[in-house]
Amino acid sequence: MSPFFFYLFAAILIFASLSVVLARNPLYNVLSLVVAIFALSCLFVILEAFFVGMILLLVYAGAVLVFFLFVVMCLNLNSLTLTTAAQSRFRWLGALAGLMFTSSFFLAFKSFIKAQTMDASSIRGTIEAIGKILFTDYLLPFELTSLLLMIAIFGIVSLAQGALSTGKDTDNS
Amino acid sequence: MITLGNYLALSGIIFSIGLMGVVTSRNVLKVLLSLELLLAASNISFVAFSKFNGDYAGQLIVFFVILVAAAEVAIGLAIVVLMYRRLSTIQADELRTMKW
Repeated sequence: MSPFFFYLFAAILIFASLSVVLARNPLYNVLSLVVAIFALSCLFVILEAFFVGMILLLVYAGAVLVFFLFVVMCLNLNSLTLTTAAQSRFRWLGALAGLMFTSSFFLAFKSFIKAQTMDASSIRGTIEAIGKILFTDYLLPFELTSLLLMIAIFGIVSLAQGALSTGKDTDNS
Repeated sequence: MITLGNYLALSGIIFSIGLMGVVTSRNVLKVLLSLELLLAASNISFVAFSKFNGDYAGQLIVFFVILVAAAEVAIGLAIVVLMYRRLSTIQADELRTMKW
């Protein structure tokens, strides 16, 4: 049962992420990232990391990607701004870098024999287990993330304020 | 039989696709989306290592990565919207000045 579902969701994930990178329409990029996040969440459930899979669906597919869609629609990217974009001359260079990266990954995995023989443990990432360790051993990082989110809010507010005060004439390029 | 190597290979493939997107795309929105792919690839590795090592710390790190990604996306999209208002394009090549 598990190998079939792993390969199914891995294939969905790979094709969706290829579509994120290669599709022309920004709307399709965002929507295929939603598909990729769904497949990723299914993989996490296969790995019995239930809490993280659920948070991934709620935060990523629910909030972050809706935010992306909102920005794509808000920017009103008409066909002109998309088609006048010249093709990148360094596209082959990026493909080469990705290929080299993948091959080096595979070489590293081949030498990593222990990964092939390791057995899956019986831990289950339920909310109870994650919550227990989150509020005991990892309390300080958890509190620091709230500080990070507050700094992010300050940054966005200051950006928006600058846009309001100086963005009256928007066509000064 | 699915081993740790399968998950690591999948993570490497997704990371490579995301890296290709970051390097080759000129659209700033697409660069941000590819960054999300890079984070997702690292999340696969973390959860797989957590499962195969029997340690919950990997799943906690994924939780923190998701939080950091949310903050990063909020700031990045705010910058993209400002850039579109100012330059009326979101091509990364048009960003020639550091201060405006």
